[in-house]
Amino acid sequence: MAKAAAKLSRWLGRGGGHALPGLVAEKFDPDLAQKLAAGLPHGVILVTGTNGKTTTTKLIAAMLEAHGERVLTNSTGSNLKRGITSALIRAADVRGRLEHTVGLFEVDEANLRLVAPGLRPKHIVVLNLFRDQLDRYGELDTTAALIGQGIAATQAKVHLNADDPLVASLANASAPEKVRYFGIEGLPARAATAHQTATDSDRCPVCRERLSFSRVFYGHVGHYRCPQGHFARPQPQVAITGVEETGLTGARFTMAVDGKRSEMTFALPGTYNLYNALAAASLATSEGVETVKVAEALATTEAAFGRVEQVEVRGRKLCLLLIKNPAGFTQVLETFLVGRPNVRVMMAVNDLDADGRDVSWLWDVPLEALAVTQPQIITAGIRGADMGLRLKYAGVESRVAATLEQAIEAVLEATPQGETAYVLPTYTAMLEVRKVLSKLTHIAEV
Amino acid sequence: MSKVTIAHLYPRDMNIYGDLGNIICLTRRLRWRGNEVAVKPVEIGRPFDFAEADLVFGGGGQDSGQLIMGADLVKRGEELRQLAADGAPILTICGMYQLFGRGFTTMEGQEITGIDVFRASTVGGRVRMIGNIVVDSPFGRLVGFENHSGQTILEPEQAPLGKVKKGFGNDPQSRREGAVTGNVIGTYMHGPVLPKNPRLADHLILAALKRRYGVTELEPLDDALELGAAKVAMGRAQ
Repeated sequence: MAKAAAKLSRWLGRGGGHALPGLVAEKFDPDLAQKLAAGLPHGVILVTGTNGKTTTTKLIAAMLEAHGERVLTNSTGSNLKRGITSALIRAADVRGRLEHTVGLFEVDEANLRLVAPGLRPKHIVVLNLFRDQLDRYGELDTTAALIGQGIAATQAKVHLNADDPLVASLANASAPEKVRYFGIEGLPARAATAHQTATDSDRCPVCRERLSFSRVFYGHVGHYRCPQGHFARPQPQVAITGVEETGLTGARFTMAVDGKRSEMTFALPGTYNLYNALAAASLATSEGVETVKVAEALATTEAAFGRVEQVEVRGRKLCLLLIKNPAGFTQVLETFLVGRPNVRVMMAVNDLDADGRDVSWLWDVPLEALAVTQPQIITAGIRGADMGLRLKYAGVESRVAATLEQAIEAVLEATPQGETAYVLPTYTAMLEVRKVLSKLTHIAEV
Repeated sequence: MSKVTIAHLYPRDMNIYGDLGNIICLTRRLRWRGNEVAVKPVEIGRPFDFAEADLVFGGGGQDSGQLIMGADLVKRGEELRQLAADGAPILTICGMYQLFGRGFTTMEGQEITGIDVFRASTVGGRVRMIGNIVVDSPFGRLVGFENHSGQTILEPEQAPLGKVKKGFGNDPQSRREGAVTGNVIGTYMHGPVLPKNPRLADHLILAALKRRYGVTELEPLDDALELGAAKVAMGRAQ
């Protein structure tokens, strides 16, 4: 029955057959997902956190596949319980058998607690915790508590970001021998950014005293300790010990895994992506993947959907960068736009459910950093006017376009042949942008 | 050129939902009119002289933030009540609005004492009041976004900020939103309420300049983008 629903859903083309079969199947057999997952010989891996889930999942998949695993994943935007159930149903044959060896699923932060007990994951990866679209969960402490409950309900090995205090504190939900930390020891001065307007979590989880930071890499991520001595950054087992080079096309760095150092190149730019690389490496190496295969995956894996994706249109390059919360937007800003006078940018903000209905978060992004260089900016989307207003108060000029099509035309027109323009949409605006671009050029389907 | 000092109440603990937008808005609109602006944070346990404050702003926070700062706020209650009685403009949002009233009783029965500027009490509730909100007020039609489960009940003599046209406001029943006492304003329109409501921003600015420098009129600004964005937001309210 569920299988039939999956076929029907795909045939209808609804959401690419993402979540409907899961919804139907849950009605018939609420335990279906766990029954199917039990057939995966090497178990289930869950990846959660505010930013970087999709990219990290992609990196882990590449590493495990190089190691000979057949990896089953869920697709972007299907990271709730029924999305995972759907992925399992679609992959199963009529007898409920899977040809995959391992399940690798990105899970929404609040949903980990709901899926973890049934799927009995072998590993849980927690990347970071930032305030997200604010009407979703409201409070970061609540989100952390929900993830902690998810972890506590399993026997999984947990891979935690040592540099994010709230994430590192989740070790309390697990047995010490089950915890593996990843982190960055140091960044070159210009890559390390202390630029921030709103701090998400900088208090000791024990005594609530303000943590003191000796280093801040971005947001509240860095090297910290409680002044009262209750809590401090744990020593990571998987660490970037030195970054030789960072730029718009990626980075070169030294990674130490359980004390063993290797030089690596990485195809994705931005400090935030360094953490995604570390998380994937932590997971893969604990599953026995050789370092050389980890390095190869890091050197060759391309960006996930709308994360530094490049599209060529009429001889211009458009770089698509998804924006969904202050931390992510700030990283995009600092990696691609700050300090570059002649960039052309389109920012498209929608306020549908998948974007977050509340656009207040735009005011937590330090767009003032663009005031010196005044890039050419066109705003669009349902809340294009809000984006324009935020820029006005940041001291940055922009123009509001009536439609996304017009905004894309305008940004192409402003961009000389061979040059790059940056397109920054929220989630549903990204889907619309891709639809518009698909009429102008070839673009991968989501 | 006049110098204006904005006191920002507990910016590190009470800054959820883009509250900083209000400070940015006040600062810009003051500077565009040729004033000098200093923003000074009021931090827990640190001395602060409210005599130098021309404008006070306090935003919302996580529950943990509200608990930590509540006790400190009460210690400054007398000073803030005097400032309010003296006509100083004060804008409080969400968690800070609640604590400018008599206090907040959580769902678990925990009581956080307020500073009694507003004759209003807040109790935790099960209904999450969330969404775009439109309010008719003495400062024109206002638009914002609310996200709270605290229900604020105004005592009979307490004036609300306005009448709810769309959304919830103080509680699910009364159709009243916020509170106004003199130049002190409390509201659930969280985060950046001022940028899309320039009349409200200018009311606070004029009150500040009047009190300190006797200014009676503000130079008008081009608010086309502000009002355009407000119109879009009003259209998004259900």
